[in-house]
Amino acid sequence: MTGKELLLRALKNKGVKFVFGYTGGAIMPVFDEMDKQGTFKFIMSRHEQGAAFMAQGISRASLSTDEPQIGVCMATSGPGALNLVTGIADAYMDSVPIIAVTGQVATGVIATDAFQESDVVGVMLPISKQTYMPLHAEEVEQSVHEAFYVATTGRGGPIVLDIPKDVQNQPVSENYRFDARRFRPQLPGFFIHPTPAREPLQQAIELINRSERPVMFCGHGVINSNAGQLLQEFAEKVNIPVAFTLHGLSAMPADHPLSLGMMGMHGTVEANRAIMEADLLIAFGMRFDDRVTGKLNEYAQNADVIHVEIDPSEIDKNVATSVAINADVYRTLHVLLGDPMLTYKPRRRWLEKIAGFRQVMAEDLRQEIEAGVGEGGKLLMKSIIHQLSEVTAGKDLIVADVGQNQMMAARFYNYQTFNSWFASGGAGTMGCSLPMAIGVKLARPTERVWSISGDGGFQMNAQELGTIMEQQLDVKMILLNNGYLGMVRQWQSLFFDGRYAGTPMQSPDFGLMAQAYGIPYRRVETLAEVAPALQAAIDHQGPMLLEFICDPSELILPMVPAGGGFEEMMVKRPQPVAADGGKP
Amino acid sequence: MKRRAILAFMLDRPGVLNKVSMLIRKKMYNVDTLTVCSARKPGLSRMTITLREDDPTRVAQVISQLEKFTEVVSVKELDTDHSYWREVAIVKLEIEGLHLESFQGRYNFEILNQQENEICILQVAGSTRKIDAFLEEIGQEHIIEIARTGVTALEK
Ligand SMILES: Cc1ncc(C[n+]2csc(CCOP(=O)(O)OP(=O)(O)O)c2C)c(N)n1
Ligand SMILES: [Mg+2]
Repeated sequence: MTGKELLLRALKNKGVKFVFGYTGGAIMPVFDEMDKQGTFKFIMSRHEQGAAFMAQGISRASLSTDEPQIGVCMATSGPGALNLVTGIADAYMDSVPIIAVTGQVATGVIATDAFQESDVVGVMLPISKQTYMPLHAEEVEQSVHEAFYVATTGRGGPIVLDIPKDVQNQPVSENYRFDARRFRPQLPGFFIHPTPAREPLQQAIELINRSERPVMFCGHGVINSNAGQLLQEFAEKVNIPVAFTLHGLSAMPADHPLSLGMMGMHGTVEANRAIMEADLLIAFGMRFDDRVTGKLNEYAQNADVIHVEIDPSEIDKNVATSVAINADVYRTLHVLLGDPMLTYKPRRRWLEKIAGFRQVMAEDLRQEIEAGVGEGGKLLMKSIIHQLSEVTAGKDLIVADVGQNQMMAARFYNYQTFNSWFASGGAGTMGCSLPMAIGVKLARPTERVWSISGDGGFQMNAQELGTIMEQQLDVKMILLNNGYLGMVRQWQSLFFDGRYAGTPMQSPDFGLMAQAYGIPYRRVETLAEVAPALQAAIDHQGPMLLEFICDPSELILPMVPAGGGFEEMMVKRPQPVAADGGKP
Repeated sequence: MKRRAILAFMLDRPGVLNKVSMLIRKKMYNVDTLTVCSARKPGLSRMTITLREDDPTRVAQVISQLEKFTEVVSVKELDTDHSYWREVAIVKLEIEGLHLESFQGRYNFEILNQQENEICILQVAGSTRKIDAFLEEIGQEHIIEIARTGVTALEK
């Protein structure tokens, strides 16, 4: 057997069904072998970045199914591998396990600046969980098995396997043996602590029982450890409201009475105000990034912090903990739920106070959603998302892009299905939605998948319409076209005197574009057309592109200005300042 | 700023030093000294890194992120009270033999090479402060070149 055959054997052994990628000189032997064997469904992306996001879609969406799979993307050396960089860095920031296989120039010419040679391991080191460069065919299979182990054990992350072309073709010796079932990676420096220690758990329970104004936090770790159900049971058992990070959304039904919605920069008033006044934060599987906390030295000053997190380097990184529980979220919740010391409290005053916070913006939002259009008569994104939520009963899978469209989708879809929200969080990579939705659809073929993008992000990976066309993938596409890089425009209107530098954008005729790919299309300009258009996409078997003409002046509020504390949270559009600089 | 020493044991593999130094750069430190040698256990390297930081939580962050590398087997901070920090300097000097001898008692250096034209190469070992003091006392005007190893450290 040769390196390429062993690579494919190992991928198959690890349950891989789809390979996303793009060929080229240094990976041709693997592609050739893959074609010969026909073991995997090969999906050609139209750009390697697309392949990386498709792989992410597979890993993210399948983790909650009976058959979790790891997404695999493949590219050739040099430019092919470098085009993967953004998708891999994105997976690293969002703890998504994917495997990237890149071809490398032959060992004989490595380090001679050969044609299409680049130092892939060097480039990928800081943006991946681990890199491998097998130099003999004998090392290939073991590297792949170890790669899957490292990618999926503890906090997930992307792994890069850079395989020189001659190693792909090299036969192994006759004595070569590899027993996948018996294989245990030898990693003396790889530590994980899935089981919570007794002592901090006891301290946590004491703090929880003693607290009067507690808030629970639900992060990506809850989704990744499939602990949504347990989290909800726990919240109900102790009667504590739950705020979500961007990636914690859809862990619990969004309209659960204890749900506070998203926290942080564009979080809800109720989440952010509750955090400001809390005496205890109980964080599950999250990393307190700056979009969640705002100004750190003003963050939750009166609260004790219990931090449950599988990655010990996240504990005490940004927020000092009172009790650190370095463990798997699922196991921790499981143990906590079984503990008889844990008590239910009515917390009437606290929950009443929070009910008050809920009212701060409720009426404004209700009116806006009902009006559905802004001052210029153009559609409001929040109203479109709200209607999408209504017609799908909140049960569909939502893959958002980055920008206002993403925050609207995070805030106004009423998530009912566990693990039904997919987005680029840590990196915030525009253009992720279309390719990621392809992976999500392949992982969950029986569920309806919506890709939601802005006009900017849609055009960043619009070439993947070709993949959707070729694979006949039933991805419903919502394009919220406000003619601007809207999120940046929002900052410009709030903090840069309304000077729109580099944000207005001319777009092509998206109808013609869809037509070129043989994809049905509808353009929606009025409120009355919104629901029928959504219904048409639902009724159509196959992909469809819906373009909504949106109001560029719509703001996503509340907003905590970058670097600001929650005190500075804006809940209303600031009044325009008079031309003479005086008070309005 | 306070000087800190981090001791790490890691797999002796290509790319590991690269990872460690990249992490330290990412955390915006300028490495003061970095020494690597084989550890007692075959296949492991022993690395001592010194850098400057006042905030102990930031050092703890570096340590916990180093620990995350699958190749890094153990890491800890060594403090000066509970460990020895030592380095070696090789110094090429132009100096009169008699003048040099007057330092012998206090600095206990070893002469590696001495020629008649008053060019001398010697080696001196000790704490960073001791070597600094030695060089200071000898006087810059006598020194042609200095090679220092950087700090290596051992817990008491
Ligand atoms: C690849 C990339 N480039 C730039 C940015 C910075 N950025 C964040 S949001 C945004 C605007 C997005 O515009 P659009 O896709 O039209 O969405 P909208 O905010 O209008 O809904 C930009 C440029 C980014 N996040 N990703
Ligand atoms: Mg836009």
